[in-house]
Amino acid sequence: MASTESSQPKHFLAYKGKFRLFGLTIDDCIKVFFGGNAVVSIVVLTLITYFLFREGAGFFGQNRRNLDIYRRAGLEYVDYIRTQQDDHTALTRYLSDLRLRQLRYLTQERHLSLAEANAKLGPFDDFAEQYGDAIEPIRTIVSDLTEQASAIKTKCGVAEDKLTERQQLLAEGRNADAGRVVVESVDFAAELAPIRATLPAWREASAELTKRISQVLVTAPAMPDPALQARLERFKELNATYVAGFPAIQRRLETWDYTKPVPAAQALTSFIFGREWLTASFWQDWYGVIPLLVGSVMVSLLALVLAVPLGVGAAIYVNQMASPLEQRFIKPSIEFISAIPSVVLGFFGIAVLGQAMRALSQVSWLSWVPGFPYSERLNILTAGCLLALIAVPTIFTLAEDALNNVPRAFKEASFALGATRLQTVIKIIVPASLSGIISAVLLGFGRVIGETMVVLLCAGNRIAIPDFTMGLGVVTQPVHTMTGIIAQEMGEVVQGSIHYRALFVVGILLFFLSLGINYVAQAVVRKYRVSIG
Amino acid sequence: MASNPPAHPFQSPPTAARRRERWIFALFGGATYCVILCGALVFGTIIGKGAGSVFQTRAPFINTTFLTAAPESLHVFEFEGRKREMGDQEYRAFVAQHPAAARVKSESYVYSAGGIFPCIVGTVLLVIGSMTIALTLGVSAAVYLNEYARDGTFIRFVRLAILNLAGVPSIVFGLFGFGMFVIFFGWNVSLLAGWFTLAFMVLPVVITASEESLKAVPRGFREGSLALGATKWQTIRKNVLPYALPGILTSSILGIARVAGETAPIMFTAAYVVRDKLPWEVERAVDFLFQGVMALPYHIYVVSSKIPQNEYTERVQYGSAFIFLLIVAVIASASILLRNQLRNRYKW
Repeated sequence: MASTESSQPKHFLAYKGKFRLFGLTIDDCIKVFFGGNAVVSIVVLTLITYFLFREGAGFFGQNRRNLDIYRRAGLEYVDYIRTQQDDHTALTRYLSDLRLRQLRYLTQERHLSLAEANAKLGPFDDFAEQYGDAIEPIRTIVSDLTEQASAIKTKCGVAEDKLTERQQLLAEGRNADAGRVVVESVDFAAELAPIRATLPAWREASAELTKRISQVLVTAPAMPDPALQARLERFKELNATYVAGFPAIQRRLETWDYTKPVPAAQALTSFIFGREWLTASFWQDWYGVIPLLVGSVMVSLLALVLAVPLGVGAAIYVNQMASPLEQRFIKPSIEFISAIPSVVLGFFGIAVLGQAMRALSQVSWLSWVPGFPYSERLNILTAGCLLALIAVPTIFTLAEDALNNVPRAFKEASFALGATRLQTVIKIIVPASLSGIISAVLLGFGRVIGETMVVLLCAGNRIAIPDFTMGLGVVTQPVHTMTGIIAQEMGEVVQGSIHYRALFVVGILLFFLSLGINYVAQAVVRKYRVSIG
Repeated sequence: MASNPPAHPFQSPPTAARRRERWIFALFGGATYCVILCGALVFGTIIGKGAGSVFQTRAPFINTTFLTAAPESLHVFEFEGRKREMGDQEYRAFVAQHPAAARVKSESYVYSAGGIFPCIVGTVLLVIGSMTIALTLGVSAAVYLNEYARDGTFIRFVRLAILNLAGVPSIVFGLFGFGMFVIFFGWNVSLLAGWFTLAFMVLPVVITASEESLKAVPRGFREGSLALGATKWQTIRKNVLPYALPGILTSSILGIARVAGETAPIMFTAAYVVRDKLPWEVERAVDFLFQGVMALPYHIYVVSSKIPQNEYTERVQYGSAFIFLLIVAVIASASILLRNQLRNRYKW
């Protein structure tokens, strides 16, 4: 009896023994261990949210202070006048564009030599010059005020630096040293007085500008061509609106009050709706996400426009039409494309595609394509084409899965009713799997909007809202993107500065955008799934 | 085909609808092959131009300097009527020998001479570390989800988290890794920070792949083992994991390709633009974990965006891209081939 017991393997019994850890058996412990690992994904998601907010949340306070100083140092006041100058500059640019068109018309339609054409444009040049000179008084005021306001802002900055220095010293317990740091408080009312005193001078200059513009416009020479004449009329109209805007500026200047606090919400709205992302400028930094968001969305949309027909088409082809041999070849090939690292694609864009596309755009018989020819090698088009190559495998794989899930019976029933293969595919298979295909497209969108390296290398990195007046040709303009700006500027910013925090806020936006896209994709599948059974 | 007699009596005669159908099918096929063609074009260009800097016509046919040396600046200058190209070290030795050469104006291009050895090493280290972490966490999580968990609110949350984690852009992982590991934990730009960032990024891929492999193991295996009196853990260890492991590993290879290929997460967590020392040249063993490394994808980003493009810089640009593509392509094709083989081998 005893011998048989000892020969029995005790291995298994040991596990079923009474060993307990915190009241748990070994098996329970193992289960808890595995369960703990399963929780990791939730933990990571929470940590991502937490750390993005930890670094980014300070942005709004800093941005509010930033805007506050913008107002109190009088920069806002000066910028009101500056709009007047900037609008005038835009109108002057319109005039020089008009001159270029005239010159082209004269040399190409009337076959004049360049010298003759230029001579013929003499009166127009005089007109343009007079128009350009009209702004001079305003320009002088603006440049004077710019200097003064900058000086006040610098003083504010110095005072703030001293304050932080003192706080640091106090925190370190060096009270004596802290006492020696003199913080000069800025007397805004006194500092701003000279700026505000220029109001009468500005009023005079503005009235003068109005008068001169109306005088100059009368002397506008006639255009050689009705189309150009129409443009000149348009110019006059634009001027009328421009001049009509002066009273509004005057009202804003008169009612401007530096003590009015910046509303807290503006720290947020100036980020979400801000049309300018301007950093490290001597005048005023702006953190508006719109140019980056528009860039990201434009590039992604273009990529989808290219990738959806190709990806979904390929999925339908492979799933419904291709022979088994083709299937065995195509599927791994497309999976292989998804393995191309994005940085290699970006390099390909810089080294090959950008140049090739530009050369293509300059071929004369393609000039009817909107936006062609263009000169910027790296732009939305280049980045969009490469991103399409990234999106296609994602869309293909998921759409193929969706098509695969359609039961055979659907297809067979359709054939039995006499439908052709094409009719079956278009009327039965695709509608049945439409929810899956749509979610595939959405996930592809999520994939491309979060893609970094390709857009960083190939989108052109110009921070500006593209000019939509070009119609479809807008895709030939360079943009900057949300992912690109983080990758580009994160390495250069000072930790804890407003710029640093702004980049984290862009990251937060990106994070929630991707969560949102994910959610919609799942909701589409849940809600519109054709019940299969 | 059209002139042939019908193969069987039920085949319908060619009609306009059928012709249209064929056209449309050809269109779909065209879209498919267009995609493959684009992919092949990218591969072809990089391979065609990159092969030049990796292979050579003389024995040993592989440019060993490129694979085993660190990046250097390239100096191009004309001396005594001959145009010379030299790496930084060679150039200094040359100038020491011929003092007259110092007065000759030389153009220099950073990173364009030497090789990419430290980058390859860095990438390999990053991949090994992060995949170890990701596999440990991911396989365990998958075991729990597939073997232990019963459907409930908690599991729904876990699955939702995995699904959402898969959609988070890689640059956001980079920001997160920077905020948590680099700043909050104070690890600075280091291997460890890169490992965890990449591991968390690839976690959803590993979990999904592992779960699928575990699901493929038939229920009977588990039930048989349990019926013989084994505990749950014994069942999993002896009767489930061994059969699922090949599948887990092959599917996870795709995760490796992703880890190796990503640049954005390591940009501010692990990668240095340039570093003189190799990773194992550290004073204390602990320093090994807390050092930044050069990584191939980041190097490609640097050489393609920060230096001008010309005949001298082209070699290193295409060469690095080629090596990188080669590594990733080998990993990816290994995964695809292995999976196809596995599908044939295990059938129950």
